[in-house]
Amino acid sequence: MRVTLFDYGAGNLHSLAKALATAPGAEVRIQEDPVRALDTDVLVLPGVGAFGASAARLEPGRQAMRDALERGLPCLGICLGMQLLFDTSDEGGGAGLGYFPGKVTRLAARRVPEIGWNTVEEDRTLAGTKLDTVYYAHSFVCRPTDASVVTGWTTHEGDRFPAAVRRGKVVGVQFHPEKSSTAGVRFVRAFLEEVAP
Amino acid sequence: MLTRRLIVCLDVKGGRVVKGVQFEGLRDVGDPVELARRYEEEGADEVTFLDISASAEERGTLWDLVQRTAERLFIPLTVGGGVRTVDDVGRALRAGADKVSINSAAVANPALLTACAERFGAQCVVASIDAKREDGRWRVYTHGGKKPTELDAVAWARECVARGAGEVLLTSIDRDGARSGYDLDLTRAVADVVDVPVIASGGAGNAEHVRDGLTKGGADAALVAGILHDGVTTVGAIKSLLREGGIHVRSRT
Repeated sequence: MRVTLFDYGAGNLHSLAKALATAPGAEVRIQEDPVRALDTDVLVLPGVGAFGASAARLEPGRQAMRDALERGLPCLGICLGMQLLFDTSDEGGGAGLGYFPGKVTRLAARRVPEIGWNTVEEDRTLAGTKLDTVYYAHSFVCRPTDASVVTGWTTHEGDRFPAAVRRGKVVGVQFHPEKSSTAGVRFVRAFLEEVAP
Repeated sequence: MLTRRLIVCLDVKGGRVVKGVQFEGLRDVGDPVELARRYEEEGADEVTFLDISASAEERGTLWDLVQRTAERLFIPLTVGGGVRTVDDVGRALRAGADKVSINSAAVANPALLTACAERFGAQCVVASIDAKREDGRWRVYTHGGKKPTELDAVAWARECVARGAGEVLLTSIDRDGARSGYDLDLTRAVADVVDVPVIASGGAGNAEHVRDGLTKGGADAALVAGILHDGVTTVGAIKSLLREGGIHVRSRT
């Protein structure tokens, strides 16, 4: 199974690549070109960077990527990667993939960014594993137009927002599974086993 | 609801974890990758590497070390010590750090915090502040606590956050290594004026001190080092005590 990380610039992909590689048969690769990244069995949008800069890197392949997801290409979007699955963001200009209708807005809380371990409520994202407490590091959150895509919620101060969304084989998570210790690695592996057996 | 965090700090020099013994030089205590992994297994919520390398040769091994750690550690890793420029921060993040703590360089050039937050996001910029109590206030020191500044720690913490820091790592120089507990007044004074997480540091001698830092001090996280490395207590024992005190912490599964 070919698992491709779309690298749009900024930071640490090592932990995520290693977490993905724990799944049996996973061959993990990193690709900076958004069109070439689609020549894969599973696409992963990692979680580091700012929306505007990342949307610009995505732009040349945006339509092709969206079409691929609609045709059934499995995809896991993490943190910023989840936000790129939506239409637009208040963090920066440019368009996301629009796979999930809705926009990304700033956390409505006193303490922003939210940094630390928080719970996932009512998680039904994957059949194989249930999430409890996971690691978040973000200032912005997704606001889907249709709440039925939300497969897990979380709350920071008074703001309740999606911890996870899913439609078909496309999953977005606001937390960092690759930084959520054993539970997070188990989640990544369960995702790969479920969408690309 | 956010849990309170227990962060383990490892002093790193030339690719190894070291420990000072009464200014009598440094003792090698182990491989950073193995120690970091062990603390993750015991339930630590984060690991911080503090690079105390004196020379460029020793420092050169840091990025390789960070990468080897990131490939095996599945909790957040912060790197601090000697970070001077936006490029240094970028290099640390590419190597595998999730956050970078900035101390002396932020005092010398406060705009560095803003530049890093704009480029990489506030969530990876940690303002590290070393403070010493003087006449009922706290003076900021730089260069490993050796060089006094004219800055007041509480006002400086507020400025760091206004300039883009996403967390404040607050170390009491008076309490560092003393094992008499965190400076709770200092911790509370800073926690009350900033809207980002404050990490209490310097002085933890037992699990009760950690609890007090989080409750009386109002910190979001507590940094511990020596008491774990020396086996005075364990991550599990500290978290048990916190849980008994009604503090919400992450369980180890």
